Amino acid sequence: MVGRGGVAAHHEGAPRPALTADWQGWLACAAAVTGFVLCLLGWLAGGGGFSVPWAPSLNLRLSFALDGLGVLYGLLATGVGALVFAYGTRYLTLHLEHERRSAMERWRFWPWMALFAVAMLGLATAQDLVLVFVFFDLTAVCSYFLIGFDRAEREARTAALMALLVTVVAAVAMLVGAVLLYATYGTFSIPELLARAGPSATTTVAAALVAVAALAKSAQVPFHFWLPRAMAAPTPVSAYLHSAAMVAAGVLVLGRVHPLLARSEVVLDGLLVVGAASVVVGGVLALRRDVLKQVLAYSTISQYGYVVMLYGLGGAAGNGAAAFYVLAHGVAKSALFMTAGAVTMATGEDRLSRLGGLGRRMPVLGAAAGVAAATLAALPLTVGFFKDELLFTAALEHGPLTAALAVLAAVLTFAYIGRFWMGLFLGPARGQVGATSGLLVAPVVVLAAVAVFGGLVVAPFARLASDAAGVSAGGPVTLAPAYHLDARPENLMAVAAWVLGGLLLALPRVADRVSRVLATAGERWGPRRAYEAVLRGLDRVSAALHDREVRDLRMSIAAVLVPAGVLIGLAFAATPTAGAYVVGAVMGADWVILPLLALVVVATAVIARARARLVVALALSVVGFALAAMYALVGAPDVALVAVMVETMLTLVFVAALARMPREDPDGDVAAPSRRRRRRRDVLAGVVAGLAVFVSVWGFLSQPAADSVSAEHIRLTPAAHGGDVVTVIVADFRGLDTLVEITVLLVAVIGVATLIRRGKLW
Amino acid sequence: MRPDGGGVPDSVVRVVARQLPGPSLMVAASLIVKGYAEVGDGFAAGVIVALAIALTYIALGAEGAEAALPMLRHAPKLAVGGLLLALASGFFPLAIGQPPLTHRPGPGEHVTKIGALELFTPLLLDIGVFLLVVGVLTMLLHHLSRPRGEGKR
Repeated sequence: MVGRGGVAAHHEGAPRPALTADWQGWLACAAAVTGFVLCLLGWLAGGGGFSVPWAPSLNLRLSFALDGLGVLYGLLATGVGALVFAYGTRYLTLHLEHERRSAMERWRFWPWMALFAVAMLGLATAQDLVLVFVFFDLTAVCSYFLIGFDRAEREARTAALMALLVTVVAAVAMLVGAVLLYATYGTFSIPELLARAGPSATTTVAAALVAVAALAKSAQVPFHFWLPRAMAAPTPVSAYLHSAAMVAAGVLVLGRVHPLLARSEVVLDGLLVVGAASVVVGGVLALRRDVLKQVLAYSTISQYGYVVMLYGLGGAAGNGAAAFYVLAHGVAKSALFMTAGAVTMATGEDRLSRLGGLGRRMPVLGAAAGVAAATLAALPLTVGFFKDELLFTAALEHGPLTAALAVLAAVLTFAYIGRFWMGLFLGPARGQVGATSGLLVAPVVVLAAVAVFGGLVVAPFARLASDAAGVSAGGPVTLAPAYHLDARPENLMAVAAWVLGGLLLALPRVADRVSRVLATAGERWGPRRAYEAVLRGLDRVSAALHDREVRDLRMSIAAVLVPAGVLIGLAFAATPTAGAYVVGAVMGADWVILPLLALVVVATAVIARARARLVVALALSVVGFALAAMYALVGAPDVALVAVMVETMLTLVFVAALARMPREDPDGDVAAPSRRRRRRRDVLAGVVAGLAVFVSVWGFLSQPAADSVSAEHIRLTPAAHGGDVVTVIVADFRGLDTLVEITVLLVAVIGVATLIRRGKLW
Repeated sequence: MRPDGGGVPDSVVRVVARQLPGPSLMVAASLIVKGYAEVGDGFAAGVIVALAIALTYIALGAEGAEAALPMLRHAPKLAVGGLLLALASGFFPLAIGQPPLTHRPGPGEHVTKIGALELFTPLLLDIGVFLLVVGVLTMLLHHLSRPRGEGKR
């Protein structure tokens, strides 16, 4: 990103390959607009929903409902989505042109973006915990591919993996919580659960587990470290991910299951603590970041910290403020991200320290971004003012400590977002401004207009938020934010926040020092180190196991046989075996089988002792033919026929393969002591595996099952229109096995071709 | 197949090897025809044909065998085609809302017979397995019978 202006200037002589119009992007945009209109109509019509069976045996239903919460997040996902997609059509084209990538790469972007929006819509309307989990993870998968869009860059790949691992691993907690609830209350359906689940230990644990998943998704402390990394994504992805998707998905789930969370004070207090910690950590770290998108990323952590805190406060005021906050933040944050992207596209710079005074050169963008920043900083005449008003009301209701925290949060927000906007648009001119595209500015302007509209006419926004809060609070909520020109506590707190924030802005050194200390502490002891250590540890264990297992063929075989033998041995040690072993009588055809078995034993001994490979191969085939003869004797001519044929084939293949091996003994250069040790180890592995098989086969033969499967097979064979049981088993009773096995056969021969001919089949 | 290039097999083996694939196909066909009613199935039939081909490789050498039986080069198509045929015969009932591997005509219904050959869908599975086995084993022979360098013997 850095130095893009220079690169652009350099190539002015040689025209860049201009890409065609981005119809995929416009298609996605049109779909988002349609979704927005539908959501809006659905809301005005009073919602609705449907529920159809999905997996009846597991009590799973595909149940969706467009309730208040669904409408709020649906409108955010589609509305912000439409603007971000329109912005993306231009941004992605420029991005691909800069990097000289082909237009085909759009196929690796837009489908995921569209799926991202669909997943958010699904998550917003899903009424079933398992369904919520599915959509929750779907957003994570989309974000993985989108964050890693610039796959040539290592940073993007690491960031994508980190986002995926942190959120998906945490999401398992949600599934565990869902199963816990199901085990106790017998349903996955959220409305039914809310009706059935009373305050109990199970509810508390399950609610805490769901909350953990949601907090990781919303990048709350201590899972916050993935989010600043994720800004390696192209800007439209960041804008969407931070404001309306992915990160918003976490608080959406909190809002969805809030009545469950509210069954337990402990969970609510936990949310309060985590939220407050995130507000402080994110806000303080955002104060000092230099890279534009990093400032915004830490800001997101802090802002969703507000929301989590509000859900922790609970009640009508807390839930209402949380819903309103998400709405106002979504509008402002997406605008700010798109501002950062537009600035970087125009100047080639992505750091505050290299930019400045853009206000005069990009006045429209500067004004629109100013409105967005004012919204975040909760200045009057923007919708943001009311978000802080509601926050202060809810915090005051709870107590003086939370009120102080709320003011601190507002101070931090004012300071970092003020620094961000002033650093970009005021001060001495820095950075060269190239051509800007109207399409990169227009969405920011639209969002700014929405923010100002909300600042003047707040009623529709308040209604949207109170509908959503009604779902979270489990009862009707009325929000009546308005301007009051008096000295009520909320107004005093707001003024205090602006003054203190302005002070922090004017005294950058204090802010710098605090932020630096926290950043250093985070680097040294932060959770990201734990994540990296765990990842590295897993890597090392897997590599060590792998090295051990693949060192030679004997190890690979032992890795299968020895654990199998040990497990069987343990099972026998734990099972009563008295009288389980019978030595049967010898009669009839057994007198023929016994010599054959003796032949097998002799051949096996030869295999173990022989030095020459050809002898080994031939002795192996002796074992095979002897076994085939036994099949014929016990009345399985079919198996015997195939066994003879396969044995012949195997012998031929063995001989052919052996002829191609190097002549000298591969053990020749190994020192004698280690060779002896290895041989002892091989014998031990063989004995363990052999003994285990021996005792289990003997045990099986001692007690033939009374009502055996084979009798059933024989009985059913005529029904399958067959005369030959073996054929019918292979082609019918076990037909699926056969289909898989023959597929394996082809895969195996392709493997041979790959090893010998680099994949040429003939 | 002749590792040190020494010891050319005698002419009887060579003549038999040339002649054997034809009759082996007949035996294979008979195994498939008897199919469901008696001993034998597509797998055994495939291995029998492959054994005949293996004998040709032994007698004539890899290049000789492939020159004498030029159709061997179609083995990969045979293998893939056979697998697809078998999978199709197994899974087509899904398309009409029945469990996989359901027979057509179903149990107890009338099955058209040509001699001993019964025309119903498991026959396709058998034929698919037969083609797959012949193809796979021929490919295996082809790959294993040459040293690393392509055809430099």
